[in-house]
Amino acid sequence: MKNPILRALPAIVAAALAGFAPLPLGAADVAAKDAINAPPTLRDYQALAKLPDFVGVWTPLISDQVAQERTNPPPWNAQAAKQIEHMYAEEKAGRPFPVIDHCFPTGMPSYMLITHNAFELLFTPGRVTLLGEGDGNRMRRIYTDGRPHPDDPDPSFHGHSIGHWEGQTLVVDTIAVLPQSYLAVNEAVGVPNNGDMHIVERFHLLDPVTLADDLEITANKLLSKPWKTTRKYVRQRSQKYDIVEGVCEQGSYTEAVDKDGNSVFAPIKFRNGVPVGSDSK
Amino acid sequence: MNSRMKQSLGAVILAVAAAVSWPAYAHHSFAVYDRTKVLTLKGNVKSFQWTNPHCVIWVMVQPEGGGEPQEWSFETTSPGVLTRGGWTRNSVKPGDRVSVEFSPLRDGSHGGGLNSVTLLDTGQKLSASFAASEKPS
Repeated sequence: MKNPILRALPAIVAAALAGFAPLPLGAADVAAKDAINAPPTLRDYQALAKLPDFVGVWTPLISDQVAQERTNPPPWNAQAAKQIEHMYAEEKAGRPFPVIDHCFPTGMPSYMLITHNAFELLFTPGRVTLLGEGDGNRMRRIYTDGRPHPDDPDPSFHGHSIGHWEGQTLVVDTIAVLPQSYLAVNEAVGVPNNGDMHIVERFHLLDPVTLADDLEITANKLLSKPWKTTRKYVRQRSQKYDIVEGVCEQGSYTEAVDKDGNSVFAPIKFRNGVPVGSDSK
Repeated sequence: MNSRMKQSLGAVILAVAAAVSWPAYAHHSFAVYDRTKVLTLKGNVKSFQWTNPHCVIWVMVQPEGGGEPQEWSFETTSPGVLTRGGWTRNSVKPGDRVSVEFSPLRDGSHGGGLNSVTLLDTGQKLSASFAASEKPS
């Protein structure tokens, strides 16, 4: 290639392409609303291989969840403490308050705090994804592509999460969690966060088979000060731990055949207060 | 109150009782079961529902002292958790003779939270414990 223009062509093309690259994002930048997700490159995928070994299935250390209920309770404010005390009494009496007895996602931060189900952690360019097993395979998306939170994100059960790496630690910042999403310490004891909650998490390996999530939860409507707690998850490489479908409502129905011979789900019937088993199986 | 009204009131009361004694099948606390008690019953499996969020085994139990077999309902954890404990959706089949260990519903109705089920014809014991998932694999 002797022609200087041809020699310079790659640089010219690169410069032209750069013109189409996303602009640096500012929280108040109108352009950010039109930002695009750049197509991932080989280098982006190669960079994933250098991240700490988080990818795969993890099961919660439930015994530690239970232990922490006693050793590190949230610093409830007076109003929340009163409700929590009542819920513990109800639980003890065998009348558990239905914190998650519906088909809404458990939501943040309870997803990390009280779940009994496995989740799978995935790395893709610009993103960390947690795929749960319960509640319709609930999911957390954590953007690691450098974007800020939107100026006014729509509230959701899992909120809006952005993350970045500090050495071997993934730091995640979550806002815009629905006020109705519970801060729960077990499946029968918890209160809605009531809004303005901010969660900072630090995911890191304690050892090759233990993932820790250090959470700092600021929820001024129900806590007297930010609450720091850690949840631990155990690595599962065995394929019997591969995540299965988890459809919340399915257990309320039983397999049946309708008048046209179609396979359908029919609501489970109750007799004397307990569900009745199907005769069809 | 005419008799029809009495009948519907009865139905309403029964429906409320049902809602209290057995939780909806979504995720819930197992505090509805008296975990301080572990009972054992033997019977024949009527059906086994392998569904999220919780699986259920129905067992026909012959009451002591005779009478018609009574239907008992035993709730357990999810297919995912049970799979890791060695279960499959065919582990328990209608007609199987089983011995069931469970914590009973606190109100005494015919149901409980399953601890384990033993297939009497083979001796195989299937546990509903989460303990296995606290060890790495």
